[in-house]
Amino acid sequence: MTRHTKLSGSSALAVSLMALLGANHATAQHSFEGQTIEVVVPFAPGGATDVAARFLERFLERHLEGNPNVEVTNRGGGGSILGANWFQQNARPDGQTVLFTTSSTANPYVLGQPEVEYDLAAMRMAYGLPFGSVTYVAANTGIETPEDFVNASGPLLYGGIAAAASDLPTLLSFEVLGVDVRSVLGFTGRGPIRLAFERGETNVDFQFTPVYMTQVASSVEDGSSVALMTGGSMDENGRLIARDPAVPDLPSVYEVYVDVFGEEPSGVEWDAYQAMGALTLAYGLTAYLHPDTPDEIVNAFADAVARINEDPEFIEEGQQVVGGYAMTSPVDAEAALRAALQPSDEVREYLINLLTDKFDVQF
Amino acid sequence: MDNALAALSELFEPLRLFALIMGVLAGMVFGMLPGLGGVAAVSIMLPFIFLFDSYAGLALLLGAISVVYTSDTITSVLLGAPGSPASAPTAIEGHAMARRGEAATALGLGFLASMTGGLIGAMTLALAIPVAGPIVLALGTPELLMFALIGLYFASSMIGRDLAVGLAAGCLGLLIGTIGPAPAAANFRFTFGQAYLLDGLSLTIVALGLFAVPEIISMLSGGGGISSKRQVVSNWSSGFVEFWKSRWLIIRSAFIGTFGGFVPAVGANASTWVAYGHAMSSTKDKSRFGKGEPRGVAAAEGANNATVISDLVPTLLFSVPGGPAAAIFLGALFSFGFFPGPRMVTEEPVLLYLIVWSVALASIVGAAICFAITPLVAQLTRIRFALIAAPLMLVMVAGAYQATQSLGDISILLLLGVIGWIMKQAEWPRAPVLVGFVLATPVEQYFWLTTQIHGWSWLGRPGVLLIASFIIVPLIWRAASRWIAKRKAISPLSVSADADPDVSKPTGTTAARLAMSVIAVAIFGYALAEAMGFRANARLLPLLAIIPGLALAIFVVVREGIRLTRNVDQFHFEAKADYPIIALLIGYALGIALFGFQVATAVFLIFVLTRFAGLRLLGALAYATILFVGINGLFSLMRIAPPEGYLISNLF
Repeated sequence: MTRHTKLSGSSALAVSLMALLGANHATAQHSFEGQTIEVVVPFAPGGATDVAARFLERFLERHLEGNPNVEVTNRGGGGSILGANWFQQNARPDGQTVLFTTSSTANPYVLGQPEVEYDLAAMRMAYGLPFGSVTYVAANTGIETPEDFVNASGPLLYGGIAAAASDLPTLLSFEVLGVDVRSVLGFTGRGPIRLAFERGETNVDFQFTPVYMTQVASSVEDGSSVALMTGGSMDENGRLIARDPAVPDLPSVYEVYVDVFGEEPSGVEWDAYQAMGALTLAYGLTAYLHPDTPDEIVNAFADAVARINEDPEFIEEGQQVVGGYAMTSPVDAEAALRAALQPSDEVREYLINLLTDKFDVQF
Repeated sequence: MDNALAALSELFEPLRLFALIMGVLAGMVFGMLPGLGGVAAVSIMLPFIFLFDSYAGLALLLGAISVVYTSDTITSVLLGAPGSPASAPTAIEGHAMARRGEAATALGLGFLASMTGGLIGAMTLALAIPVAGPIVLALGTPELLMFALIGLYFASSMIGRDLAVGLAAGCLGLLIGTIGPAPAAANFRFTFGQAYLLDGLSLTIVALGLFAVPEIISMLSGGGGISSKRQVVSNWSSGFVEFWKSRWLIIRSAFIGTFGGFVPAVGANASTWVAYGHAMSSTKDKSRFGKGEPRGVAAAEGANNATVISDLVPTLLFSVPGGPAAAIFLGALFSFGFFPGPRMVTEEPVLLYLIVWSVALASIVGAAICFAITPLVAQLTRIRFALIAAPLMLVMVAGAYQATQSLGDISILLLLGVIGWIMKQAEWPRAPVLVGFVLATPVEQYFWLTTQIHGWSWLGRPGVLLIASFIIVPLIWRAASRWIAKRKAISPLSVSADADPDVSKPTGTTAARLAMSVIAVAIFGYALAEAMGFRANARLLPLLAIIPGLALAIFVVVREGIRLTRNVDQFHFEAKADYPIIALLIGYALGIALFGFQVATAVFLIFVLTRFAGLRLLGALAYATILFVGINGLFSLMRIAPPEGYLISNLF
């Protein structure tokens, strides 16, 4: 008897809570008026994430309800883990502290690095910007098409930073396609890697789309490099298989696979590519909020994202600064982001084994 | 040429000149504050650039970048604490000159050398950008490796007389440099499970800890001013004379520095030491190096300013920043919609020349302002040191704390400070530690990249041979001239720098000597145990530091032990007066950890000012209030919140 009342009591509470939340979303608009939103970038100033965060600053100020003051602060160190740990301990569920970061924060979380104190999958999403990637090879490899690449026999040398970092989706795409590429890891950044490629020290490389368009595209035009494929972008079902809107001429990894092998890619390699590709590319730049942030605040960010995507100034300047992608809204992406942050045990185990055996990563 | 003139007239818009001058002033201030070099100056200016148009915003940053290595000469010379890590040679030679009462000479020489370095850097920028592409592309990973090795070789010139101790110090630096991720295998080394150590230690904190903290400790306990002699810095003529005497050395150093700037990542720190080593090998009488040799100042200052400017060459040509300040500048270029790359030279020639003019103008204005303000700054060296030490300590804490904004920054600063203090007492040279630390990463990284990409064929590359000739040619030259001298039966006059009659070898030992050798054995011993668990390619460089380091450290322990038993009566604890100061600093750090920066700083200031600066309570309160407001202003300018205490944030 008592049990029954308790149950119905709590479910009644849940119903009224839901009604309240629903009503909130429908009527009350959260306003940031007079507030300051601190955007924490867990990297040193001047990097790609910092540039993107500062680029978004004024658009968020313009389009968030109540026109808050948005300030970017840098908390570098620990390969972004320090800044994310700080966020975990200090953010409040009021939407006024935002962690704006990349797969450098997500990968150690997924792989279970011991220094990680943050629970990324529990956090809410505020907004995001996708990254795109283009894989290209030197013309002197004789490779002219993606198919040549898959069947290449000549020595292919890829320069990277670290296997468990932003190189991971590209390295996984080589696994999926079964290309025999030797990787040399340990470069300090994608810029020095590009220089090593231009010097002919390596002959396979990938760059993120803004850099590809400003720095590499001209060498593809003059025939010294051959662009092969993109990492792909999200289709409407949350699969990383669509063409990259920033470089629509190039096929995605998925298309290359289907083209060459005549079937859909599958298996644990492909699942791993999907999860890590999503974290590095589709959700490459993501702003996180405190786990208990109420829906009305998340929705306020979603509304701002919708307005920013229609701002002609954002569309024009975004072409160069962030590759011309539209911002990602939490309404569309939060669930898929959480799923990517929590891959199956099979995928996790595959990744850990691959990194340990092939790339000498010690966990 | 038209573009150059067009750029000049663009720059001479009043608002842009104003921005440039503001940048220069900010750069000067941050250059002078130990620990807050160019990176701090530029990142603090970053939010302000958007108040201006793109050219003015960039001028603001360039003004700051170009003068940091000019004004940090003041700190290095007067305090003996390097204003920025690449100025360590200036701190060693220049400060030794200041202690002899030659501060004016050292400063004048340093400013002029800096300015020359800046101008040559700007000239290179203007001339080299159209043609530098092939040069930068010719520098492959093997050449970068060779350049780092050369830096290490020249740094060995800093080892000093006691070979065992000097080499052990260098090994210690290399070992500290391997903390963090291994480049070849994703191993994290010596991180003790602390996220703080995952990126390795910050160069700023290592330099501040080893050099600046021990200076502050000694000078607080000494009670007097910085210099025992009165510093006369109104008469600059001796500085000009030294400058003119070293003019060719400065120009050569500036070119070494320029070349260093072309090499991303190795950059300023290696080239400063290469230039310093070059000064040493091109000077006949080497005995004054380490004890106040003007040529050491001339070479280092000529090189470091040229490097920071030519860092912009790879930045503008390839979007690959040459150094941390250039990285922030690149971010600013992106934000203004400029995308550096091979095409920028043809697409944005005016911007390019605007950068050149800004840098050149800032170098000249910066040097002029330095000359103007130095007499004022020199006055500071005569007042009681505690009055300056208190704010300096606060600035250093702030400078260290901005690295990652965690208490790890402050703990490491203090830990290295205590080790640096022991090394100073024990007469272990600290410069090799710094150089080993700086070059460990590039040496290891480029070694693995090079051998993986090129196998061993890299040793025959022309670029590698050319860079190696920097070491080999002087060696052959020296050997040949010695041989000729022998044949002529005239004994060489000056080659033997080792024989120094002034210093008699110590026969006994002291507490610090014993302590330092035991600490070194403990560090190397522990590192050896941990390194055995690493993967093979993560272990190589640490072992290259640990094995000789451990052997040398054990040798030194045994040697000091024998000295102790032979001359027990000579054993003593040196600088006992410093002990309370060390305890005070540890207490300050603990106070910050427990009660937060504000409370701990208030107590620290009042205590230091009344106890060591001889102020009455009222005066101390007034001065402490000013400093307190100032340091909080600095924190808010840097947009960081000062550390909160554990107790405060958990109990309230």
